[in-house]
Amino acid sequence: MARMKFLCDAERCIECNGCVTACKQEHEIPWGVNRRRVVTLNDGVPGEKSISVACMHCSDAPCMAVCPVDCFYKTSEGVVLHDKDLCIGCGYCFYACPFGAPQFPQDGAFGLRGKMDKCTFCAGGPEPDFSAAEFKKYGRNRLAEGKLPACAEMCATKALLGGDSDVIADIYRNRVLKRGKGSEVWGWGTAYGKPEKQPAAQPGAKS
Amino acid sequence: MNRMLILATVAALAWTVAGCGEKPSVTVYKQGQYQGKPDKQPWDNDQFKGDKTAWEKSVKARNLGQNEYVRISGG
Amino acid sequence: MPALSNMRVSFRLLFVSCVMLFAPLPLAAQGVAQEHAKEQVQRQQTQPLNNAPVWRDVRGGQHPYQTSQVRGIETTVLVQSEGEIWRQIRNGPITIYGGWLLVLVVAALGIFYGWRGKIMLGHPRSGRLIERFGPWDRIVHWSTAISFVILAVTGLTTLFGKYVLLPMFGYTLFSWMATLSKTLHNFVGPLFALCTVVMFFTFVKDNIWQRGDWQWLTKFGGLFTGKHVPSWRFNIAEKSWFWFGVTFLGIIVSVTGFVLDFPNFAQGRETMQMANVIHAISAVLFIAAALGHIYLGTIGMEDAYESMRNGVVDETWAKEHHEYWYNEVKGQGKAAGGAAAPAHASAMKEGWKL
Repeated sequence: MARMKFLCDAERCIECNGCVTACKQEHEIPWGVNRRRVVTLNDGVPGEKSISVACMHCSDAPCMAVCPVDCFYKTSEGVVLHDKDLCIGCGYCFYACPFGAPQFPQDGAFGLRGKMDKCTFCAGGPEPDFSAAEFKKYGRNRLAEGKLPACAEMCATKALLGGDSDVIADIYRNRVLKRGKGSEVWGWGTAYGKPEKQPAAQPGAKS
Repeated sequence: MNRMLILATVAALAWTVAGCGEKPSVTVYKQGQYQGKPDKQPWDNDQFKGDKTAWEKSVKARNLGQNEYVRISGG
Repeated sequence: MPALSNMRVSFRLLFVSCVMLFAPLPLAAQGVAQEHAKEQVQRQQTQPLNNAPVWRDVRGGQHPYQTSQVRGIETTVLVQSEGEIWRQIRNGPITIYGGWLLVLVVAALGIFYGWRGKIMLGHPRSGRLIERFGPWDRIVHWSTAISFVILAVTGLTTLFGKYVLLPMFGYTLFSWMATLSKTLHNFVGPLFALCTVVMFFTFVKDNIWQRGDWQWLTKFGGLFTGKHVPSWRFNIAEKSWFWFGVTFLGIIVSVTGFVLDFPNFAQGRETMQMANVIHAISAVLFIAAALGHIYLGTIGMEDAYESMRNGVVDETWAKEHHEYWYNEVKGQGKAAGGAAAPAHASAMKEGWKL
């Protein structure tokens, strides 16, 4: 069984924001909500790096742990999903998330944030697959179509990899061996725990 | 009246104590284990009709498609 | 080349405007950023493949050299580690010890009630009534009290509901309860904060330290011996509740509550995490203290509830529980609330019913 993960290669990301756009258009996300974003470190300094970040679908997801109504669940592929019908919009997942993934459609005076929205790994939600309700709440369910997340699949430089962790880690390791640099697998330590917990091959985990 | 109040207090206590039982707020994910609410598996739909192997094949192909070394040189 | 110099000028202008844009940012952060940037430049020359300075910024990065097209609060922060700390504190000590504290307080009150029972009047009622709380006092008290109870119940639902109510009611029903709780909590909260301020000014003059308070404190008000100790309008326990509960905890939960209730003022996650921790701890203490107050004000003591409900107490009650205050009122010939002394008991009792 595949364990779905995201991997962003900072050596390759050119900050084109194509993943952000792809995500927005694939799921018809409202203005102000950003399931994915690209952050540039040391912008304008030699050796600047860009990283695309969204929900990493953590193994021990902090959002799940702090949700007061327990609206999160994990699929057998390790994708962290949530039920918007249960969500009360308290914002606790947003406090707890290391990656700033949970988004809210409203600005939140009196704590009125609306229902939380986040990356679903293009796996929809609890509603029946391909239903209008599912699309409206969670966007397209590409995983049920046998596809992978739109952001990773359309990434022009193949900096953003998404899918079965064994396969993408293999692709990445191969790549690192060929180019001989940039072995940092960003965010995996935070999201998926220490490397020894995950027997999947990892060239080296950073932060 | 007094007994009723004591009974009510004891009942309230027992009820509250039950809530204090420490249980893990989230179970750590185990590979390939589904945890949580009822949701269909991604292959349980009109497209794959419950054919898990077909779904896995499709996803695997897409996974490997991300390796552009393979795509450029054909291996 | 005029075109090139033009470009240079425009770049310079762009640079200046960028600098001006970032000018309000904290100077310290900028200093750190420049240091990091310098370090990165050096590292690129000495060890071209070593990106350690970049990776160090992953967990921080609130500085002008860390950018994102996505505008928003803290969108340039890639990893915030404080969330995990907040989760450990909230799901750990606050939930476990806070829950047990409330259970123990309820248990202690139950045991006390079983042992001591309702504290009754030692002498027969005189039939003459004294005004203890004027209409304003009562309006303020009950506004604060009702909003407090709403906030306590809804707050406890948010903190413990997942463990207590969710298994009982199931996901859908509990989600509705939690939505109602959250909305009530967020809208009643500011009202409670207002009530707290008004409450403070209404009752502060009778809650300052008075002669005789120490004696009351050393004997614990005769709570365990059953022998009454004379006190003023409020005894030291009530004064402690006023200062530690209503004022101190009231202000803390109000201020932290505002931080959490209005996340639209661009406060970061760390601020809200800290506010949440302080809010939860002080709220649990506040509820624990309030349980004691509610106990004595209702089933714990005869006529205590009626004094706040109707505003008047029997002279016997006043003499037994607040003898100095009773003497003061009697000596002045007028009620403590400032209104005229009651002339006729039965008429007063009817008149003061809200």
